[in-house]
Amino acid sequence: MAWNEPGGGGKQHDPWSGGGRRGGGGNGNGGGGNNNQGPPDLDEALKKFQDKLNRMLGGRGKRGGGGNGGGGGGKRSVFALPGLLAIIVLAIWAASGFYLVDQSERGVVLRFGKFEQIVNPGLQWNPPIIDDVRMVNVTGVRSVSQTKSMLTRDENIVKVDISAQYQVADPRDYALNVRTPDLSIENALDSALRQVVGGTDMDEILTSGRALLADTVSTRLQTYLDSYGLGVRILAINIESTSAPDAVQDAFDDVIKAREDRQRLINDAIGYANAIIPEAQGQAQRLIEQAQGYRESVVAKAQGESNRFNSLLTEYRQAPQVMRDRMYLDTMTEVLSNTSKVLIDINKSSPLMVLPLDKLNRGNASGADSQQDVNVTPSLIEQLRNNSAGSSNSSQTSGIRREGRQ
Amino acid sequence: MINNRSLLIVAGLAAVAWVGSNTLYIVDETERAIKLQFGEIVEADIQPGLHFKVPITNTVRTFDARVLTLELDTSRYLTLEKKAVIVDSYVKWKIVDSARYYQATSGQEQVAQRLIIPRVDEALRNQFGRLELQEIIAERRDELMEEPTQQLNEVLREELGVAILDIRIKRIDLPDEVTQAVYERMRTERNREARQYRAQGQEEAAKLRANAERRRQVLLAEAQSKSETLRGQGDAEAASIYAQAYQQDAEFFRFYRSLDAYRASFDGKSDLLVLEPDSDFFRYLNGASPQPQQSSNADGS
Repeated sequence: MAWNEPGGGGKQHDPWSGGGRRGGGGNGNGGGGNNNQGPPDLDEALKKFQDKLNRMLGGRGKRGGGGNGGGGGGKRSVFALPGLLAIIVLAIWAASGFYLVDQSERGVVLRFGKFEQIVNPGLQWNPPIIDDVRMVNVTGVRSVSQTKSMLTRDENIVKVDISAQYQVADPRDYALNVRTPDLSIENALDSALRQVVGGTDMDEILTSGRALLADTVSTRLQTYLDSYGLGVRILAINIESTSAPDAVQDAFDDVIKAREDRQRLINDAIGYANAIIPEAQGQAQRLIEQAQGYRESVVAKAQGESNRFNSLLTEYRQAPQVMRDRMYLDTMTEVLSNTSKVLIDINKSSPLMVLPLDKLNRGNASGADSQQDVNVTPSLIEQLRNNSAGSSNSSQTSGIRREGRQ
Repeated sequence: MINNRSLLIVAGLAAVAWVGSNTLYIVDETERAIKLQFGEIVEADIQPGLHFKVPITNTVRTFDARVLTLELDTSRYLTLEKKAVIVDSYVKWKIVDSARYYQATSGQEQVAQRLIIPRVDEALRNQFGRLELQEIIAERRDELMEEPTQQLNEVLREELGVAILDIRIKRIDLPDEVTQAVYERMRTERNREARQYRAQGQEEAAKLRANAERRRQVLLAEAQSKSETLRGQGDAEAASIYAQAYQQDAEFFRFYRSLDAYRASFDGKSDLLVLEPDSDFFRYLNGASPQPQQSSNADGS
């Protein structure tokens, strides 16, 4: 412990105080060992320097000053070249004890190999050689990622792409407890992941169970790492992707396609339904409208006809016979004027008369009224001549002929 | 003179340095040490810090006191049902009793590893042989690792001065040929699933279409029925209107409608009427006198 002491004092204070004090002690010893040899002016300068130091250091300088007084008082030329060298060496040694600790780092200080303290960011000094400082980045987020194929509970194989992000939580543990901390994390992650996946069914891993998977792996991994005393905190486990192994990926893709196909077929069918039902509704409406129209038109027609009939009937009742004749003749006029006619007096002609209906019809079909008249009129005139007499007939004949020509 | 003295001083310092470096030694925080006196252990488990020893007489051996990782080679184990599995594992271990460790291994880590590996391997092999694949993969993996850890920890503490902190299995895979079979099975399962989805789609689609067609049919039939009803109603209404009108004078109605019918029947030019001059219509054509016509008309009415 005695060896630790001076350094122990030094660490708290201005480095020059420690250096100076130790320098003084060294000189005192050296003075005891060596005699008063060496250049006086250098001696002087050193003495001045020492005094100055002592004055500056005040109370703390007392012990050093006392030692110095004891050594320097007796032998004034005690500071020989080796002494100077020693001072320079000490100065270099002390100066090399400065170091910077970055904001993201903590320094783990080992004094003679034994853990001493953790130093915070800023300019720090620790006695070199005596202290060993190991820097550990504690704010940086590190990450390790893996892509592995593994067995699931239902003895399928899945490929999982995982990454773990972690941070050093305890720099002392991280620096000192485990030989290969990062490799240890990788191994532990691998083990934890495989175990959790091994306890889960494939479908769950591929679909809904990913978040849970990450949680479980995270807890498990943290437990492992704590048991190794690694001093690391797992910040996040990201299951970046879970997929079927490459060898069967196409089959898995096909399932997804099939799911889409199912939806497509259903959509098609819904589309079909959406198309035909409105169409049918339209048709139905049309049928109903048509029927409605028929009903209304039939009723209207009936109404109209019955009104006409009623009107006629009123007239008819006033003069039935005249009305009857007139209507009869009007109708016959209309009927006969619209049709081709053959007038035959069956009783007076030969019973075996052949009527060339075909010819008559053909002539009719060719459509010329004049031709029809030519065909019909001679026989008609013949018959008229045979059967009739008197002047009153001529007006009738001309009436018929006129009508036939229409 | 100065040179001589200086040399002396330098030599003196060198001597001090030699003695210092040989009497003092540092044990790092990551290490534990033992002190040997002519090969005999005089002090064990020396903690970190600065320590003294007697030069030449004493030698110091230091060992890594951190947690060490030992990765086992990939091995093939058999499960209870004689299925082969490919296993990767690692061991976390630590030197806890440096004296015993030194005796057992001469302080050489490789020796320690050579001693530890077969023990772990055998312990795991035994564990695998006791369980079925399903249990190993899913249910009892922790147990599988815990038991050998505990057992070996006890034994190796005694024998090697080494603590086994953790035995962990990383990979449990099936051998390649089995893996291919698994892939094949997975593929057929997927195919089955895909077919099922497609069939479901067709079923669903067929149902939807059928339903739509049924609805269309029903719609049209209902419309048809409604339409017939409406037509019927119209006909009935018309009939009743006709009846009401016509029944006032049935005879006149017959006459009136007959005339209409004639008019409608002989409408086309293609109609050919073959007439007898004897008919009532031609009465005057045949030269009958107005007197009989009057009477005959009266007869006809």
